[in-house]
Amino acid sequence: MGALTDKYCIVGVGETPHMRPSNRTTLSMACEAVTKALADAGLKPGDVDGMTSYQAGDSTTSPHVATALGMRLNYAVDILGGGSSGEALVAHAIGLIEAGYCKTMVIFRSMNGRSGRRMGGQTPGGPVPVANAEGDAQFNMGWGWTTPAQRFGMSAMRYLHDTGCTTKAFAEIAVAHRYHATLNPKAIHRSPITIEDHQRSRWIVKPFRLLDCCQETDVSVAIIVTSRERAYDLRHPPVFIMGGYARTLTDSPQWNYSRESLHYVAGNYGWKRAFGMAGITHKDVDFVSCYDAFTFTTLIQLEANGFCGRGEAGEFVKGGRLQIDHELPSNLSGGHLSEGYTHGVQMVIENIRQLRHRADDACPGWAEGKHTYDRKAGCRQLRKADLCCGMGWGWENMASCLILRGMAA
Amino acid sequence: MPGPIDYSKLRILPDFDTAEWWAGTKARKYLVRQCKACGHKWFPPIFPACAKCASLDVAWFEASGKGKVYSYVVVVQPIVGAFIGAVPYVVAIIELDDCKEADGTVTRVAGVMLDEESEVAIGLPCEVVYEETNDPKIVMPRWKINGTAANAWRFTE
Ligand SMILES: [Zn+2]
Repeated sequence: MGALTDKYCIVGVGETPHMRPSNRTTLSMACEAVTKALADAGLKPGDVDGMTSYQAGDSTTSPHVATALGMRLNYAVDILGGGSSGEALVAHAIGLIEAGYCKTMVIFRSMNGRSGRRMGGQTPGGPVPVANAEGDAQFNMGWGWTTPAQRFGMSAMRYLHDTGCTTKAFAEIAVAHRYHATLNPKAIHRSPITIEDHQRSRWIVKPFRLLDCCQETDVSVAIIVTSRERAYDLRHPPVFIMGGYARTLTDSPQWNYSRESLHYVAGNYGWKRAFGMAGITHKDVDFVSCYDAFTFTTLIQLEANGFCGRGEAGEFVKGGRLQIDHELPSNLSGGHLSEGYTHGVQMVIENIRQLRHRADDACPGWAEGKHTYDRKAGCRQLRKADLCCGMGWGWENMASCLILRGMAA
Repeated sequence: MPGPIDYSKLRILPDFDTAEWWAGTKARKYLVRQCKACGHKWFPPIFPACAKCASLDVAWFEASGKGKVYSYVVVVQPIVGAFIGAVPYVVAIIELDDCKEADGTVTRVAGVMLDEESEVAIGLPCEVVYEETNDPKIVMPRWKINGTAANAWRFTE
């Protein structure tokens, strides 16, 4: 990006509630999320001329949403993509606006991730009754090894073997993100948990327990990207896009288990470029977000993106380091683990709210940026939230990153 | 031994790139793809080209079917219906003994272990075992620990 640093901004965010089940179509939810993002930005439907979304064959499309909301777009495309696509589509929006294809772009994700197609592979009634193993699935479904938990568990197990880390490090992440969810009225799980609660929760696939796994939900999320010049005219102070990387791959990306190490994940290939573009170091980062489909994915993204040395993430997260008011707060909304699974976008949304100093918490004045910082009273706004690093994850082999700053940085 | 896999709930559908691999397991041969141009080996055979030299001229290498456990998971909650009666079962990534290349590349494969969780550990040697399914065309490779290792590492939590 370099010359484009700070030239583009995220100006609007919106989401539906996390629902289980929604009893709604993905189109209905997407329209709600997009209109909320427009209202948040102070934009009208006619102000938007580009729209993009990502999905897994489980959602509506940009032309449908544009038709419903009466938008006439100059650019619309919907991609097949997993986690880390939200951050990547921000990069995509920057390129399109820079090239003159459109001026203001909406990015959305809408999915009945709990009541419809579940990432975890279960049908709504339980395990898949009869499965056709074709294509790639011949070589994983045949050995009962299909879900993200089952697949990422392999990297996690090898990580434990290679580093001496234990699952107490996973617990640190579950506890931190849950603590943040206790401060988020929108979160699905708002009761605090302890390291021991994590260690006692039932096994899903060893080395992952129930409290290592995220909360599949029905939800739609939307964000709006435009140029700095337009951003200054809108409702909130702009949040500037400083740098990032977009769906960076490892070598041998699609089937990564013959790579040198299973847990040398894609972030390792991207972060130097992102931090270079943004002109920052890790010390400049006030808070992070990590795609916490599982506790382990947070752990390994911190390591892959250089927040600690190789093999050191287990030590790094100890002692509540990722909790609010500690060294490196992570996933301040509660993340996928406790707020609800949005395929990544909610982390961008929360980061925007924190950078604006407008976390939608229990403080009566949050909408005006008035916060008490009293965690016992439900405030989740960071005192200093000037610069953040958001890390998206597709598989071990694919990742995105978005470094953002507010007006103060 | 973990419970049985209900193969009536699993339909393996070989395709252009994989039919010979499944013919291999039916003949009790564990095949990996091999590049005719540079000798590189890989798995699974869904990939039709050599990732080292991009050659499309590919053949098969008959591996000994022996290797070492590189990593594993223990599936406790079943997702695929065929495996409901099999839990808890171990899926491992196995490093093949005779597929190491000069630059350090090693072919790893994955499969279900026949062993109990308490018998599996990273570093242990293992070998392929063939299991007939209710589809006469499909013979499923599974794996079994067949020795010991000084540096074996087991997840004990
Ligand atoms: Zn080759």
